[in-house]
Amino acid sequence: MKKIIALLAIMLLFASSAAYAEHTNDASYIYDFWGNANNSMGAFELSSVIDNTNMPEDISIKGINDIYVHNGRISLIDTAQNRLNVFTETYEFVTSVKIVREPSGKIVVSEDTGKQMILNGPEGVYATDEYIYIADTGNERIIILDANTFAYVREITRPENMVGVTLFKPSKIAVDESGRMFVVVKNSTEGIVELNEDGSFSCYFGVNSPKVNIIDYLWKSMASAEQRAKMSKVYAPAFSNVQTDNEGFVYAVTLDTASENMVFRMNSKGENVIRLFGYSEQLGDLVTPTNTEQSRFADIAVSDYGVYALLDTAKGRVFIYNFDGNLLSIFGGSGDIKGTFKEPTSIAWQGDSLIVGDARLSSAYVFTPTDFGKLILEAEKRYNAGDFEAAAQLQLEVIDMNANYDHAYVSIGKNLLMEDEYEEAMVYFSLGNDKTYYSKAYAGYRNIQIQRNFIWFAIVFLLFVVWILRGEYQYNKRQRQLEEL
Amino acid sequence: MKKIAADLGYIRHVIFHPFDGFYEVRFRNKGNVGIALLMILISGLLSVLSAQYTGFIMNSNARYEFNSLTTFIFGVFPFFLFAVSNWSMTAIFDGSGKFSDIITVLGYSLFPKIIIDILVLILSNVVIESEVSILSSVSAIGTLWFAFLVFSGLCVIHEYGAGRNIIMLLATLVAAIVIVFLSVLYISLVEKLIGFVVEFASEFVKRW
Repeated sequence: MKKIIALLAIMLLFASSAAYAEHTNDASYIYDFWGNANNSMGAFELSSVIDNTNMPEDISIKGINDIYVHNGRISLIDTAQNRLNVFTETYEFVTSVKIVREPSGKIVVSEDTGKQMILNGPEGVYATDEYIYIADTGNERIIILDANTFAYVREITRPENMVGVTLFKPSKIAVDESGRMFVVVKNSTEGIVELNEDGSFSCYFGVNSPKVNIIDYLWKSMASAEQRAKMSKVYAPAFSNVQTDNEGFVYAVTLDTASENMVFRMNSKGENVIRLFGYSEQLGDLVTPTNTEQSRFADIAVSDYGVYALLDTAKGRVFIYNFDGNLLSIFGGSGDIKGTFKEPTSIAWQGDSLIVGDARLSSAYVFTPTDFGKLILEAEKRYNAGDFEAAAQLQLEVIDMNANYDHAYVSIGKNLLMEDEYEEAMVYFSLGNDKTYYSKAYAGYRNIQIQRNFIWFAIVFLLFVVWILRGEYQYNKRQRQLEEL
Repeated sequence: MKKIAADLGYIRHVIFHPFDGFYEVRFRNKGNVGIALLMILISGLLSVLSAQYTGFIMNSNARYEFNSLTTFIFGVFPFFLFAVSNWSMTAIFDGSGKFSDIITVLGYSLFPKIIIDILVLILSNVVIESEVSILSSVSAIGTLWFAFLVFSGLCVIHEYGAGRNIIMLLATLVAAIVIVFLSVLYISLVEKLIGFVVEFASEFVKRW
């Protein structure tokens, strides 16, 4: 009996030491041209966890609603604890803000209400070189702190010149390089609120449109004006998150599956200019007869080289796309084990790693790219920088690791096409099932073939001309003979 | 042999003069059911070939799960289903065409479509994406031609006017759906029956 207990104790020892494998071989999947979910290699794996062990003893993390990484500082917004927590690059605790203080350390007293300035259910954060912007949702204001001292700078409440019926309950915030603020206001059907640098209202930015439903349209066209007034109105779907990139484009996502588009890349006019040239125009999981649940995007993380990650709350998955809308990788899932999500709310790039926050877990997960993921991201970086040849070289290595990775074939084909290697490019495009680029390569190939064999085309054409002329001649001859008779 | 050659030559007359041509088929025995059946088989074969050999740019078939036998059956089956349901409806509503006449109309009407489809199949291998629309419109011409020939042919052999014929075509559609439904029902019932017998027998053997 003692022996058995001893054995069990030893086994337990081993079990605890092996509980966390540092390098997982997570299986993943990717959609191909036909919409099949093929097995793929995991491009990201869990590497660290930011949880209460990273925090001082008197402060805990309860539920994370927004993450922003800037200049090696990671800002987490904890809505449940009404806190902004700041960490260094290596996930060491820097500070936590709940009560807003002046540079002197005195607690700020709000001019409007005369109360001490305490965060109340904040949901969004954004950081620049100088400032940290907090969307203090419960208090209906935006608080701006100094990025280095975390001292109070100013607050923005509902602008006096703001039009529309939207309540000013800022939920998410993004700031572009000129200091303009893009604020997602809770339940707004009027779009994203764009504020000037001084906090005055500029305009509603980027309006989302609902899907057109034929049956609803039919009923409405038949109903009388009174009946129509009683019907439930279709409002424009609200945005759920907003992000800016280094080129001045504003990215936004919506959770609402009734929306016409769910992911937006908006130019300065607020028009959606997202590029969807992947195998499917549908981002996220494909809706098929067996999978009717559409992905619902809670957050988007945009990198400097055009690769963006979408966080799906429906199935707890992260979808990574490149600039053209090609699906690069999928990882994550919902569940109860380490590295899976319950209610993921926020995602942010930290270099090549992704940090994902969850509203119902008291931790944030950090996912770093695997060898395979590093190759994919590096290839995209090179491609974005215009170094197509290096990108193609990297994609060849990608194919060595995973021959099912169709996007790599297309990338190699594009490089070959630019070098006028049409025949080889055609092979790669057909492997990657890209008909548009195959057609471009084939056009070049066909031109060369026609030029090479021009003499035969010319001979056939000449024979055709001779045949027609001969027919004309004989016809006229016969007519003349008939006339003579 | 000479008769077959003459019959083949007659198809050329039929596809350009359908009313006249099918009248002769119906009332002067100019048709050849064998050739018509051959046409239907060729069109089935062509559906297999075009699934496999259409150029990459125009071919959106999932070739990795391609099954030539199923493709062939799905290419041929609709014609026979149409013939059976059309015959069963028109026989009730005093259409004068025989079953062999319907098959002949279908087979002869397929001739221009087969020629155009072969042409499209070959040319699809040498087009680029911007030229695809030209080829699709050419193949649409083939389909429209086929539809017109079938329509006029059915008018002639059943001695129907155009309006009556349209109603009968709709009735044919309903009949086809009923036939498919009943056959699926029958197959599943027979499956259950066989399952029951097998189960009963195995139980009987085990408990004996």
